[in-house]
Amino acid sequence: MQDIILEMKDIEKTFPGVKALDRVNFTLRSGQIHALLGENGAGKSTLIKVLTGVHRMDAGTILFEGKSIRPTSPMDAQRQGISTVYQEVNLCPNLTVAENIFIGRQPMRRGQIDWKTINRRAHELMLRMGMDIDVTLPLATYPIAIQQMASIARAVDINARILILDEPTSSLDENEVRNLFSVMRELKNQGMGIIFITHFLDQVYAVSDQLTVLRNGRLVGEYTAQEIGKLELVTAMIGKDINEIYNLQKAQPGEDAKAVLDAQNIGIPGKVENISLQVKEGELVGFAGLLGSGRTETAEMLFGVTHAAQGSISMHGEVLALKTPLDAIRKKMAFCPEDRKRDGIIADLSVRENIALAVQATRGFLHPLPQKEQQELADKYIQLLSIATPDADKKVGELSGGNQQKVILARWMATNPDLMILDEPTRGIDVGAKAEIQRLMLEMCHEGRSVIFISSEIDEIIRCSNRIIVMRDLAKAAEMDGSACTQADILAIIANEGTKEEAV
Amino acid sequence: MKKTLISGAFVRSKLFWAIVAELLILLVGFILRPDFLSIQLRTLSDGTTVLFGTPVDIFNRASEITIIAMGMTLVIALGGTDISVGALVAVSGAIALKFLRWDVLVYTTPGDYTVQPYYLVILLPLLTCTLMGLFNGVLIGKLKLQPIIATLILMVGGRGIAQIVTNGKQFTTQYTPFKFIGNGSFLGLPLPILITLVVVLTVVLFVRRTSFGMFVESVGINPNASRVSGLRSDTIIIIVYVLTGLLSGISGLIYSSRISSNDSNNAGLGYEMDAILAVVIGGTSMTGGKFSLLGTVVGSLIIRTITTLVLYFGVVSEAIMAFKALIIAVVIVLQSEPVRNAIAKRRSKRIALGGEARA
Amino acid sequence: MPENKTMTIASGRRMRNLLTNPKYLMVYATIGIFLLIYLFGALLYGGRGFTSVRTFMLFFSDNAYIGISAVGMTLVLITGGIDLSVAAVASLTGMIIAYGTTVLGIHPLVCIGAALLVGVGLGALMGACIQYLNVPPFITTLTGMFFARGVCSLISRESISIKHPLIDALAGFKIYLTWPNAQGEWVKIKPVASIDLNTIAFILMIVIGTIILQKTRFGRNVYAIGGNEQSATLMGLPVSRTKVLVYAFNGLCSVLAGISYVLYVKSGWNLSLQGAELDVISACVIGGVMLSGGVGYMFGTLFGVLLKATIPAIITFNGSMNSWWAKIFTSVLLLLFIIIQRAVIASSQWVKKKE
Repeated sequence: MQDIILEMKDIEKTFPGVKALDRVNFTLRSGQIHALLGENGAGKSTLIKVLTGVHRMDAGTILFEGKSIRPTSPMDAQRQGISTVYQEVNLCPNLTVAENIFIGRQPMRRGQIDWKTINRRAHELMLRMGMDIDVTLPLATYPIAIQQMASIARAVDINARILILDEPTSSLDENEVRNLFSVMRELKNQGMGIIFITHFLDQVYAVSDQLTVLRNGRLVGEYTAQEIGKLELVTAMIGKDINEIYNLQKAQPGEDAKAVLDAQNIGIPGKVENISLQVKEGELVGFAGLLGSGRTETAEMLFGVTHAAQGSISMHGEVLALKTPLDAIRKKMAFCPEDRKRDGIIADLSVRENIALAVQATRGFLHPLPQKEQQELADKYIQLLSIATPDADKKVGELSGGNQQKVILARWMATNPDLMILDEPTRGIDVGAKAEIQRLMLEMCHEGRSVIFISSEIDEIIRCSNRIIVMRDLAKAAEMDGSACTQADILAIIANEGTKEEAV
Repeated sequence: MKKTLISGAFVRSKLFWAIVAELLILLVGFILRPDFLSIQLRTLSDGTTVLFGTPVDIFNRASEITIIAMGMTLVIALGGTDISVGALVAVSGAIALKFLRWDVLVYTTPGDYTVQPYYLVILLPLLTCTLMGLFNGVLIGKLKLQPIIATLILMVGGRGIAQIVTNGKQFTTQYTPFKFIGNGSFLGLPLPILITLVVVLTVVLFVRRTSFGMFVESVGINPNASRVSGLRSDTIIIIVYVLTGLLSGISGLIYSSRISSNDSNNAGLGYEMDAILAVVIGGTSMTGGKFSLLGTVVGSLIIRTITTLVLYFGVVSEAIMAFKALIIAVVIVLQSEPVRNAIAKRRSKRIALGGEARA
Repeated sequence: MPENKTMTIASGRRMRNLLTNPKYLMVYATIGIFLLIYLFGALLYGGRGFTSVRTFMLFFSDNAYIGISAVGMTLVLITGGIDLSVAAVASLTGMIIAYGTTVLGIHPLVCIGAALLVGVGLGALMGACIQYLNVPPFITTLTGMFFARGVCSLISRESISIKHPLIDALAGFKIYLTWPNAQGEWVKIKPVASIDLNTIAFILMIVIGTIILQKTRFGRNVYAIGGNEQSATLMGLPVSRTKVLVYAFNGLCSVLAGISYVLYVKSGWNLSLQGAELDVISACVIGGVMLSGGVGYMFGTLFGVLLKATIPAIITFNGSMNSWWAKIFTSVLLLLFIIIQRAVIASSQWVKKKE
């Protein structure tokens, strides 16, 4: 048995109105990869933030190599030997890759920064991660995956005792994940303790030794990877039987249903090309494929967020010239974007205003929705979608992720759309809210509306879709019947030539 | 259960502190000189009655800034800044005086000719300033330039244009209808106050009775999400800057009417700073989002009250800035997030402690 | 052997980068347009001495106070902040030196010491206000500007001329440029050109600024904060300390600029340098420093100051144009530069997409 390097005991942390951590224990040994699991809001990130000094704990002790510590800032934690890689790339886009890896502890020569050594060592580090790139270019010139690798390289080079990886894999493709895992194993063999947070259960089993599960700020249990099965693990995470939630009835559009949307060979040169699809009345079309396979790009073209330079889009047989999202909204389309924070919610506006926003946009500001109608609209959807908010005047930014997602959904349902495009509507929200959103999508189909549903989770797509379009490498790879295909079929298509060559 | 007189949310709001600050400053003035707050009705030689007194004077002299600050509030709510307003004030005055003193330029015999029809003297400056606002708006809304730099162009260039319009000369006018704008009175109130009231009311109605205010806040908080939700942010941005240009023009007319002259170097000097301060003191965050037009009016009054107070006690006018800075520093520190949170925390702690004692 | 190969590839890449790296495009644009305008002036007024060494040296000595202040401003702008107080603090420096020396009879060095204390202290205070109270830089430094200007006027409303042997000596210091004549003797060049203390200070500050930005951890932290302040914090960089220091350093630069201005005009006046903060900021912007933070080079700022200096020079050489045309030309130049900046940003995004 290896030595314990970190022991967190009875950690408590309360935010106004929420007990985020309630007497949580966590133990990490050297040479161990320890997965920290739980749904959103379980307290994983709060625990990490307490450990890295972003938040101060209210009670409890942290023993690091036997000594009691109380990190006061990320800098402090880093100095003590705890380094962290966050889900969002937390580097500076304007600095070069090399500098991002070394900033704050640059090698110095005669009192000056030694750029040569920085660039050479950064190149070596990136090579070790399996990336042969020019490290002297600004970080912003590289795709997210490489940026993420750079931040891992930074954390690795700090020679920390503990490395925390907070959902590092969400923007990496399979190949990159494999590289990351081999680096993780190498570090583990050197005796580092690694805390690994991820939503992908397969990855948990692929690389972790030990698992700790949190739920609602409490410790559920600690297991070894061998002793706990996947289903058991999920049950521990969500606290109820998984099958109970997933009882959904697929929509059944009639054979002779009319096409609502018809897109022919749309594309933007260099981005996505030559995509054709049709969506019928009451049909749910699923978009499967990896992140960056062209799913979001296609949705954005359909909704006029970006302008489709090629091809034609028609609704109900009428060819559209979409320049802005407003044009699409006027033609009874709606679009829940992937990045809820960036493209979805208006955090400081109230729930009511957020719900009324799209309806108001179609009316123009000179024809305001009367206060009373706005209120009715908000109340109706708060009830219909069971949005957990004390009243319609609460700021959306203060709601939980799942409820924010529902508010955005409400904004679009209020426009009474014929076609709803949902881009990853269930990402990053807890299982309960997830099931509810799936139910809502299917309900819309039952009412005769059409839905385009984009998701990274293939089983979710299979469960809901009538037809599935598989995207790969910025193009449409296949179109299949939703009732007659399995996860394996789709994976096979995604994986076919799926490992793209890294261009050097 | 004892109910607090003022709700916690209001105490935490910046507007509350702005009002408290204004009252405190007035109180200081009142303690030092009891006649500081007195208002009288006086009859002028031409038979009109006008209100006199320091408070009236404060309102009167705050007009130029208040009018501009209405537009500036929306600009800041969009997350921008418009530092060209002072230069636009100069442009407005220069154009007005150019047409008022057509004689100097066109007629050889001196006299007080104005260009005909006379209302062009009002319309042309306003039109020019509106167009300059449009220039700012297009740079920011369509070309997506940073507001500070985009408006820096007209801030630097505007005064040059004002000088070119009047060929670098300073004209004075005795044309009564024009002088009436800044010096006249109606219903016992100085005309600038009435103009300000009309402007404030119009802007408030326009912003709050339509959905324009909500759109501005939405774009200011999250431009991406607003676009996806169907808002045309570029149009909204352009409207706001055009409005600010127009309001700067109105302010410029009041200013040049007050001094019956144009002054390309000094007209509106530092107005952009005062207007931005008024907005921020009034509780609108520089980062954009929620705004308070009422707060801005209070902010503008605070700035003018400080000036008046300091002038009242015989401090040289240039040194006013130091006092202004000190008082503004206090207001801003009081309003700053950490301090407000600390105060709110102490309040809630007190309540919590009381609760525990009861239990 | 393989390592050696990597090294050559890397150095080859670096050469290519130096030319095509989008980071440097703005600086190239500044230098290019400076050369163009200089050429334009040379073609029109070359015969009247526009191209003389004397005129060129005057670009430096006449604008030294702008340049020195621009060094500090560059750092502030790179962090993503702004400082509107620089001109007022420089003016206050002038007032302190003039009032102290002429009216109170204190030795100028003591006055300079006092001014340094005030300037750096005010800078640090503003930095602390921005960092710890989250007051926007624009508002904080605007208040600082009001304060400094007000104190100027409290000291005196009259212009005070400075008569002190030390100041005269410093202001009179000149190194004349010489060249060998036909007899091989070193004589002053014609028209007489010299390097004065202001020019030396300006160049020195640019060099110091470059070293700070490129060779010290502090300088790199400045870039990191401008790139993404939250990331910089999470990377464990000393964000608070750096930001306060940047504003304190800018306070120092403002005082030095004030001293430079005193040597230039040998007097103090409460309304001197009004609006000069905009000259400083626009010089930086023209030099390729982005107000959004994270991007900028001292070298660019140097050329920004020079480029801004050529415009009034050309107007002076023209003789028939009014001085306000300088304002218009400067604003046109600003417009041009921010459009170039847009284009550069767009092109670097294009690079990103291509990757």
